[in-house]
Amino acid sequence: MPEPLTTEPPALDGPVPAELVAIAERHGQVVAAGDHAATLADFRPDRTGQLLGSARLPGRLVSSRLLRLRAEPDGLVAAFIRYTAADGSQTVLRSRWIKLDQGWRVTQVRNVPDTPPVIAAAGPRDDGLDRPHWEGLRAGEVRVQRCAPCGHWIWAPQPLCPRCHSFDLTWPAVDPAGTIYSWTRTWQPFSPELSGHLPFVVVLAELPAAGGRRLLGVLRDGDGADVRVGQAVRGFIDLAPSPDAWPVLRWSLS
Amino acid sequence: MSRSLRGAAAVAGIGSTPYYKRGTSPHSALRLILEAILAACADAGLDAHDVDGFVSYANDLNEGLAVGAALGVREVRWSTMVWGGGGGGVAAAVNAAAAAVACGQAENVIVYRGITEADDGRQSYGKGHFPPLLSAHGVLTPVQVCALRTQRMLEVDGVPWSALEALVQASYYHAQRNPDAVGYGRPLDHETYAGSRWVSEPLRLFDCSRENDGAAAVLVTSAERARELRSVPAFVLSGVQGAGPGWSESAENNASYTSAGFHPAMVARLWAEAGLKPGEVDVVQVYENFSGPAVASLIDLGLCPPGAEAGSFMTVPNLVAPDGALPVNTAGGNIAEGFVHGIGLVLEAVRQIRGTSASQVPGADVSLLLGGPVAPLVSATVFGSAVTV
Ligand SMILES: [Zn+2]
Repeated sequence: MPEPLTTEPPALDGPVPAELVAIAERHGQVVAAGDHAATLADFRPDRTGQLLGSARLPGRLVSSRLLRLRAEPDGLVAAFIRYTAADGSQTVLRSRWIKLDQGWRVTQVRNVPDTPPVIAAAGPRDDGLDRPHWEGLRAGEVRVQRCAPCGHWIWAPQPLCPRCHSFDLTWPAVDPAGTIYSWTRTWQPFSPELSGHLPFVVVLAELPAAGGRRLLGVLRDGDGADVRVGQAVRGFIDLAPSPDAWPVLRWSLS
Repeated sequence: MSRSLRGAAAVAGIGSTPYYKRGTSPHSALRLILEAILAACADAGLDAHDVDGFVSYANDLNEGLAVGAALGVREVRWSTMVWGGGGGGVAAAVNAAAAAVACGQAENVIVYRGITEADDGRQSYGKGHFPPLLSAHGVLTPVQVCALRTQRMLEVDGVPWSALEALVQASYYHAQRNPDAVGYGRPLDHETYAGSRWVSEPLRLFDCSRENDGAAAVLVTSAERARELRSVPAFVLSGVQGAGPGWSESAENNASYTSAGFHPAMVARLWAEAGLKPGEVDVVQVYENFSGPAVASLIDLGLCPPGAEAGSFMTVPNLVAPDGALPVNTAGGNIAEGFVHGIGLVLEAVRQIRGTSASQVPGADVSLLLGGPVAPLVSATVFGSAVTV
């Protein structure tokens, strides 16, 4: 359903420059109207490609509404704009605005709420070496490869134990509790699958229960999180988006 | 019989195409490679029909035998592809050519690399190294892996951010003196660097190498023949390649996680065979897929102190020619000269020995090439002038 023509004014959090209300409202209107040139003109010129690829909107939009403006550190202002599509679905984007010499421009944009990217490549690799791990996720467990005779933990999975050369390998479930060994927040839309989820944080978590082996995963609610090496994290399993797809391990700050 | 590579072979010719903006090469990668090889042979004064060996790396799409057939060479005696992803194989390819020459398997070996986006696709350098245990988590590209390594190097090892910027600024400084560099005429200031967009934290746009279409080649031949050819030889004093324990394809479980991959035994072999210490290197071409891993390389090699002290060494004055303590990437490197999988760094390492760099280090006799930080394979070559052999 399109937004009503008369709406209440947007909520203002903190010292928001008055001129931005009209600028952000107009930005929502040109985006909803599919005016590509006007949309690009609002973007910071050195990052139009990144901004275009970061957010995801449905195909045909019918209206927009500026919900809220929020003053943020470093002179940035966040604008929350809700877009309504022809099918009635609604999507909220948060654009962050910066005052440049040429005026206010969008320097970041993302879909809210923050959701992790869903990648079609999730699942066992072609040779099946890591299949027990993925089967484990389907069964609600985090399974890590371990050598039966010598107890060596092996990650990434291998066809044999690199330490004792046994082919007798097991896949015990481990407690997915660990600490952040390293992390990165990715902003660049490297694949269309990432659009709508950028930026997102990937953490490399070290698991004491798996002999200190480290497993990658997207950090839930990583947007704006103050991530640090050494923080405790807990693993969760995101259900597969469809019956023929695979669940994925995620991390949460604990 | 000696088992040393030292002084047995030399680079006698270098050649390259221009660096084209990615996707804009007027020709196929094969054609670009052939142009580069002909230029390298002309530089050496060698008839290209006399080339008898081909080495490349990173799964170059054009096999040495096909390249040899196109050139109509009299005989192919040596054909090697260096395994291991990314630019880790660049110095290893030079070493393989030198090894072939040193033991008489071939006389005139070409090391080459050519990329066009039309032939290779986008981000061809990362193909095959992002299995589901990475990609399922949105880790799709080398920059994200290098960002993970760099983040820990900064946060835990205490290497300061300024070390990364100094490497980038030195590259741009040198590119302003190299008319062939893509970054020529585009000086970089601190505000532009620090204000550039994040790609994957802690790496910003200017921490990343470029992607270009292009090709380059070098001719490796015996030390004796190199002395008879037209150009000043750059002798191979030492070469190493490989991966330490637990290094490759471990889904980020590498033992020395913030290392670039030049493990202590490898580094010791490099200096021992060259008969040199780190302090005796005059100039370095260090592969910078991204700034952080390049800094890690210099730390691995003992050229830069680890941890917080890296900041006092990694300063722009220290890293630029002619007067810096250790000039790096004197043509601009992958970041500011252009990127064809690092092959351009080989040519610049040789120019420094010849005395023909646009940012020449006066009297450079020892020139170090480092390939592939954080890649499954890393490699290094030490080149020396005639006085070193
Ligand atoms: Zn074992």
